[in-house]
Amino acid sequence: MEGKVATVPAAPRARLGAARDRLAPFAEYAGFLPALVLFGAFFLVPLGLIVAYSFWRVVDYNVVHDWTLDNYRYFFSVGTYIRTFWATIWVAVLATALTIAIAFPFAYWLVRHVPRRWQKPLLVLVIVPFWASYLLRVYAWLTILGEQGALNRFLQWTHVTDRPVSFFLYDRPAVVLVLVYLYFPFAALTLYAALERFDWDQLRAAMDLGATPLTAIRRIMLPQVLPGIVTAVIFVFIPILGEYLTPQLVGGAKGVMIGNLIVNFFQGAQYTRGAAAALLIAALIVVLLAIFRRSLELRGETLRA
Amino acid sequence: MSSFDRALTRREVLRGAAFGSIGLYLTACGGSSSSPATTAAASGTGKAATLNWLTWSDHYANDQLAAVKKKTRLTARPQLFSDNADAYLKIKQTGGQFDIVSGDALWVPKYLKDGLTESFDLSSIPVSSQLFSIAREFEFWQDGSNYMGYPFSWSTVQIYYNPKFVKTVPDSWHAVLDPKYKGKVSLENIPTDMMAIAARATGSKKPYAMSRGEISKAKDYLEQLKPNVLKLASQNNEVIRALADESAWIGITNLGSDDRVKDAGGPVVKPAYPREGTIGFIDSEQMVKASKNKDSFARFINAAEQAPYIAQNFITNGRPLFNEKAYKLLVNQGHKDRADRLLYSKPEKALEMTIKGPAGDQQAYSDAFNEVFGA
Repeated sequence: MEGKVATVPAAPRARLGAARDRLAPFAEYAGFLPALVLFGAFFLVPLGLIVAYSFWRVVDYNVVHDWTLDNYRYFFSVGTYIRTFWATIWVAVLATALTIAIAFPFAYWLVRHVPRRWQKPLLVLVIVPFWASYLLRVYAWLTILGEQGALNRFLQWTHVTDRPVSFFLYDRPAVVLVLVYLYFPFAALTLYAALERFDWDQLRAAMDLGATPLTAIRRIMLPQVLPGIVTAVIFVFIPILGEYLTPQLVGGAKGVMIGNLIVNFFQGAQYTRGAAAALLIAALIVVLLAIFRRSLELRGETLRA
Repeated sequence: MSSFDRALTRREVLRGAAFGSIGLYLTACGGSSSSPATTAAASGTGKAATLNWLTWSDHYANDQLAAVKKKTRLTARPQLFSDNADAYLKIKQTGGQFDIVSGDALWVPKYLKDGLTESFDLSSIPVSSQLFSIAREFEFWQDGSNYMGYPFSWSTVQIYYNPKFVKTVPDSWHAVLDPKYKGKVSLENIPTDMMAIAARATGSKKPYAMSRGEISKAKDYLEQLKPNVLKLASQNNEVIRALADESAWIGITNLGSDDRVKDAGGPVVKPAYPREGTIGFIDSEQMVKASKNKDSFARFINAAEQAPYIAQNFITNGRPLFNEKAYKLLVNQGHKDRADRLLYSKPEKALEMTIKGPAGDQQAYSDAFNEVFGA
């Protein structure tokens, strides 16, 4: 009897129920589907294309699908690109350090010394430059640093110089200066958020217990605001690595960054070379993010211990 | 409970969002072609359409486009590029997203040969009767009885210098290498053309088809030039600006830059024609083969290339154009000296320079340029 029952096909409803049971573990992830589609269509697919391009080559303005490592080999065999990579990293490091060095005291002053009702209006002032376009903000610096610019006019008016000084513009210092200006709001807002949450009584308690102010800052405050600092560094450092407009406009022939060379490749229809260079920058960013994340995890483990 | 009262389920929200997104996307895509409604409302001026135009900033003026739109119901939507190679690849990869593309001299036959553009009967466009006859007969643009592009403007790329600082006329490409001009030379960031200029300087016979050895010599020339380069400008107006504010003493730029610098409130700058010869452009407007608005191309060109607009374009951008009627207008308006000084009345001169075209080995050109101008 039992064997007979077992040979009877299951009813459609029962089969449906079984299928539903099998799919149940996946159902809870269905909500991710739109995000997955968007992420796949607008990030993974384009990234995959760039990866593929970087292993192809261009012949007579046609992208030929021959798999090759030539583009990467080329970058590592020509000194100019290695120097330009280093120069790009140095500019990014210096601009990030300066931005944080200016933004941190500003955020500290805002949190500690400005009455609460004035803090928000001041923060709004920090982001006011965002109301103008990026291009316009960089162009504004041309009228400040140029030979006929405000700075030179001021120096001549005060008789510090008797003729326009040309070294303010079209070199790396101009690039770093403008980058600091452009990315200051990102750092200031992030650091403000971190410092605002900090319980300042802990600092006073540490000093009551005998810590010097420096020790209290180093051992009590910094570990707690470190995630904010790291976030600020990420927000500033990583976009700067890919910058090309600022060095193009204010850097001159001496302020070139890797982004400018990538643009030259694309303008010259050398998509495969450009894709490889862009991926090298992307790889560097991924490595740096991993390092940042790891350092935060280690710091967290140390603190918990 | 009515359907309005109940809360939306997640499925409904997602479905709504999906339909909304598709609707927005289709609306955006539809923006590039004429809509049936507007076409139906067309008057005798022809159907309305939006033409996507890949071009340079000196090929149009906004008030010109507004007037053309009013007259023809054709809206031109320009998108800028700097290097011909860039535009070529954009057309190749985007198919029918563009309707018109501007192109230089020998790039034009390449577009046609590669099936990206379509030739047309030039004489069927009434405004073409305003052109200098030589502009209607360039051999390299003839495709049987058809023409590959509508001729627009031309110019040599030469040296302009500020006599206040540059005391000896720089009549050679080697003169700009003088160390006393350190950081004082401004030029456009167009790698292929800069390599071609370097080819001229180093005596290569075919600047756009150099051998590996010639590329190496051209690269050496650029290495020597690099310390003198103030900036590689992304657009020509940056070169003008650098000359105008005297941050650059020498500019490698188009005809008419002296007037443009003066118009920008700058000092007197003078032209110098390098004895090794130079490169130059003869440019045109081409009809994109995959365009869905090909039937609007002739109507747009006919409206936009009329003499008054071209005369105004000359005043603004200061390099010769091919519209002879515009030259006569300029003469009548008292600009004869300026027009003659900038060779407007001598379009045959355009054929004496090395005209721009695709590089034989574009990758080698781009590599050499980047290797020089990297850090």
